[in-house]
Amino acid sequence: MGIVPKETIEVTAQSIGITNLSPEAALMLAPDVEYRVREIMQEAIKCMRHSKRTTLTASDVDGALNLRSLEPSYGFASGGPFRFRKAIGHQDLFYTDDREVDFKDVIESPLPKAPLDAGVVCHWLAIEGVQPAIPENATLEVIRAPADNKIYEHKDGPLIDVRLPVKHVLSRELQLYFQKIAELTVSKSSPALFKKALVSLASDSGLHPLVPYFTNFIADEVSRGLNDFLLLFNLMHVVRSLLQNPHIHIEPYLHQLMPSIVTCLVSRKLGNRFADNHWELRDFTANLVSLICKRFGNTYITLQSRLTKTLVNAFLDPKKALTQHYGAIQGLSALGHTVVRLLILSNLEPYLSLLEPELDAEKQKNQMKSYEAWRVYGALLRAAGLCIHDRLKVFPNLPSPSPSFLHKGKGKIINAEPRKRKLSADSSENQPPHKRLITTDGPDVLRPHDHTGPAPMHVDKPIGNYNLPQNSAQPSSSEQASDGESRNGKEKERGKSRAITMKAILGQIWKDDLDSGRLLVKLQQLYGDRILPFIPSTEMSVFL
Amino acid sequence: MDPEQVDEFVMGYLKKKGFNNAAKQLQEALHHNNGGTFNSTDYHNDPELTKLIRSFSQSENDPTRYRDGYSKLRSWAYNSLDLYKHELLRVMYPVFIHCYMDLVGKGHTREARAFFNSFRKDHEMIHLRDLQKLEGVLVPSHLEEMEFARSLRQSKVNIKICQYSYDLLLQYLHRTESTLMLGIINEHINFQVYSGQPNSSSDDIDAVTIVGSFQETADHINQKEIQWGLLEDSLEDRLEKTGSLLSDSEKGQGESKDGDVDDSKKRSNEIGKQGSSLKKLKKDKAGNATAKVARQETSIVSPAPRVKPELALPVMSTDVEESILEDLRNRVQLSSVAMPSVSFYTFVNTHNGLNCASISHDGSLVAGGFSDSSIKVWDMAKIGQAGSGALQGESDTNDQNVGPNGRRNYTLLLGHSGPVYSATFSPPGDFVLSSSADTTIRLWSTQLNANLVCYKGHNYPVWDVQFSPFGHYFASCSHDRTARIWSMDRVQPLRIMAGHLSDVDCVQWHPNCNYIATGSSDKTVRLWDVQTGECVRIFIGHRSMVLSLAMSPDGRYMASGDEDGTIMMWDLSTARCITPLMGHNSCVWSLSYSGEGSLLASGSADCTVKLWDVTSSTKLTKAEEKNGNTNRLRSLRTFPTKSTPVHALRFSRRNLLFAAGALSKPAS
Repeated sequence: MGIVPKETIEVTAQSIGITNLSPEAALMLAPDVEYRVREIMQEAIKCMRHSKRTTLTASDVDGALNLRSLEPSYGFASGGPFRFRKAIGHQDLFYTDDREVDFKDVIESPLPKAPLDAGVVCHWLAIEGVQPAIPENATLEVIRAPADNKIYEHKDGPLIDVRLPVKHVLSRELQLYFQKIAELTVSKSSPALFKKALVSLASDSGLHPLVPYFTNFIADEVSRGLNDFLLLFNLMHVVRSLLQNPHIHIEPYLHQLMPSIVTCLVSRKLGNRFADNHWELRDFTANLVSLICKRFGNTYITLQSRLTKTLVNAFLDPKKALTQHYGAIQGLSALGHTVVRLLILSNLEPYLSLLEPELDAEKQKNQMKSYEAWRVYGALLRAAGLCIHDRLKVFPNLPSPSPSFLHKGKGKIINAEPRKRKLSADSSENQPPHKRLITTDGPDVLRPHDHTGPAPMHVDKPIGNYNLPQNSAQPSSSEQASDGESRNGKEKERGKSRAITMKAILGQIWKDDLDSGRLLVKLQQLYGDRILPFIPSTEMSVFL
Repeated sequence: MDPEQVDEFVMGYLKKKGFNNAAKQLQEALHHNNGGTFNSTDYHNDPELTKLIRSFSQSENDPTRYRDGYSKLRSWAYNSLDLYKHELLRVMYPVFIHCYMDLVGKGHTREARAFFNSFRKDHEMIHLRDLQKLEGVLVPSHLEEMEFARSLRQSKVNIKICQYSYDLLLQYLHRTESTLMLGIINEHINFQVYSGQPNSSSDDIDAVTIVGSFQETADHINQKEIQWGLLEDSLEDRLEKTGSLLSDSEKGQGESKDGDVDDSKKRSNEIGKQGSSLKKLKKDKAGNATAKVARQETSIVSPAPRVKPELALPVMSTDVEESILEDLRNRVQLSSVAMPSVSFYTFVNTHNGLNCASISHDGSLVAGGFSDSSIKVWDMAKIGQAGSGALQGESDTNDQNVGPNGRRNYTLLLGHSGPVYSATFSPPGDFVLSSSADTTIRLWSTQLNANLVCYKGHNYPVWDVQFSPFGHYFASCSHDRTARIWSMDRVQPLRIMAGHLSDVDCVQWHPNCNYIATGSSDKTVRLWDVQTGECVRIFIGHRSMVLSLAMSPDGRYMASGDEDGTIMMWDLSTARCITPLMGHNSCVWSLSYSGEGSLLASGSADCTVKLWDVTSSTKLTKAEEKNGNTNRLRSLRTFPTKSTPVHALRFSRRNLLFAAGALSKPAS
């Protein structure tokens, strides 16, 4: 039967008070009602077309009723088109979403704004056939097939501008290449081959068509393989190679790459084993980030600001894991000393006070946690140190800091040193650590974590229970000293001594210490003499 | 078979068909021969004939026969030879709708609906709109009431079919004794059998259009002679005569761009000018070269014949004439390599109320007709001066709407009592005509900002009104299925053009003022002689309601756009479609030819302005005759807007393209 079943007629009849409608009459009426409805709709569509619209509104139906000299429908002409909802369980049944409105709400609500009056704005849709790139015009498609147009223009005969649908065609070779690289990246079986692949990625021309596939691949794998440390590391290597390749125009895909990279930097957990040196991955990624910012920061002004925002949020959120803090610090410090000074150093003191209990091995029973804390501490120290190092380089003629500060600072050191000496007298060969570092380990400290491969960790790992503290001792002081002695005790001493200095300086008020000298003093107060290795020797001599 | 049974069938059949005399005679004959033997009629002995008779009588009323017959025919047609299949399939549609209407006519509503639904998929692609209309026909009285159904019933469909397909079809029908189908085919289809190979399926557009009875009349009408040439002594002629020939026009062309903007002082488009001036230097050279070629070509190909005006045309004041001549002299030559600039007027904050937009001939005035019965006229010259900053891109619409001193910056014309469906400017821009759902047409003065005349005559909403190219006369068209010609000084129409089978939706003047073209919901375009009021051409080929029309400046071609987004180019003299221009995917609201007729611009509800190269289309048809196979794609450019359906388009006399539309929020 038709769209209108006889039940509808019966219901309608009842609703207008006709109770004794015979079923035959309803059956007869139903098709006619349907015809009339269709007739009205046909006229309504005409009205709609002449109102230059493509959606039917209640006013169109009213217009159609008017054409047939019928009474218009009341109460529906409220402007915009209706919102229809599908009745669940029926295929072609819809109803208007007509909510009940409380009178009180309507009365109490403030008067709506008067609608703006109609106006006309003028702009150039095209100038001599070319659409100018102004905000009024629709954005043009980024990808075009200009080659095709040219081909057509070279043919003689009428000039026809045929725009073929843009198809991304990958040659068989490129497909194979992509597959091979993806396999290598995922399989992790042959590091030597993978290295070669990276070199190829970084140097081969003609890889550009693969870039969208690679970005996609990287994004997918990173989101999938957060537990797979090696995979992540491999992926980051691929990113770096892509960035290095001079033939690849990677800018349009940066926005797709960045989330994956940042994930590898500040994710809570990277890899699922203890042996996974995720610190190294974070350091590597931090370098990547700085590379990207340096290269594209000029073209994308918001890039760096957005990145730093993300990192600072991670850094300043005490709820985040220490690993995340570490990543954020590394990322920020890789962005240069200005960022460090502005964002890390200004927050250094409160942060250190938060870190304090974690550092103390006695309070913090969880050795893993303590190790992480020392790692973060080391990263902070490095960041601050590098910053001050850069600053001191910038200001070769260092204005001598105010003597009072200097004295105070020196006093601290002097105070701290003897204690330390006394407490760790047996390990005298380590004393004084800073002097040795200046001469021997200084350059190493500047890039303390840039070694690739987990090899050094295993080398100086002693046997037994001291495994974890041992590890922690090593980077936390950022010394990279490889003496195999048990330095657990010394570790504690340091913590204590630093705690003392901290307490002492917390009372001091930091004013606008933008001067490098003061900054240095400040840092020294915070870090004790561990900052000293970062200071170039000439400055050092001036300073001390 | 029992002879008496046969007799009964025959009697029943004759009675039912109303052949009472024959029935009586048969009865008498039966009585007469009672007990005797039949010698004269041997139908009892011929098994074929008895079968036939039985098939007639057995269930003349049985609705399932239609279904069976049709589905058999259908599966046969689908399984036929590929080469002839499309021709045979073409037969299916008329058979289908007539089966349906037969069923409805006999009162089998339920069966009719079931039949319709089971086979409608086959025809939806081509005939969707017709099907939607027919779907509503459910009782016999509807067949009478609906003019579409009536015209279908009364007329025969012409189908061109090659000899072999025809033979195949007849063979099938006879072999299977599908008398019902045979009857329908005989009754409603008029085969035009031709010898030779079948046509390629895509070619024949009119073969699939069912137009009702007037196919023959249309052919007949289209034999009439029309004078499509331009008027004698037109301004263009004068321009040529005064010696501003090639060299001169080219000299002018260099400045024309600036001139267009400066001189018309309509808008202070400093930005646009600067932006384009650099490019222009380069482009103009190329443009000149091609313009020269184009000019030569046109002068060789089509020296449009000159005709005398049949109407008394208004006299143009010398000032106006001068300015038009000046514009013509400075016209930019456009071609497929020299594109026009497009200036877009976007209506903002219309709240879905803008029904129509119109742009004056020089682009300085823009009128909008609103559903709240108001007409608003903007003087873009003033807006351009006041808010030239807005042109720079920071479209601060709020500042734009309200003038510097808080007053609105448009002229509000109130007078209609229903939605305004159309507005048109007189050529000099001093008058506006508007048509409305209140069945009236009103004349407004843009100088006095007042209503001057109200023209009453139509009985239903007036969909469209257009000033003639020389002003004074105007044409209107309405839901009452007529188009009317008026002059400004009479309140009664001068001519009434009746003939369309449905609403007349759009109207357009021929450049020589002797003809008007009308597009209708009956999917045809007609050309009418203004002097005699006769229909002189019927253009059949659109598959949905015709929404826009444009005449080429040389008067030879016409373009029409429909609801589906198809644009058709017609040759007026032969009434044949040169080629359909496909590309839009929604209603084509507006069409406009460039000044010298080389480009066609189309504006659509799909929020694009498209430019079509129509010189190559006319050229191609000639090439087509030679080699028969050419690329028909001629879309040159597509300019998408930011979700603004394009309501109106106009090429200024200097070939600057103006477009207008109302910004609509994209559907969320």
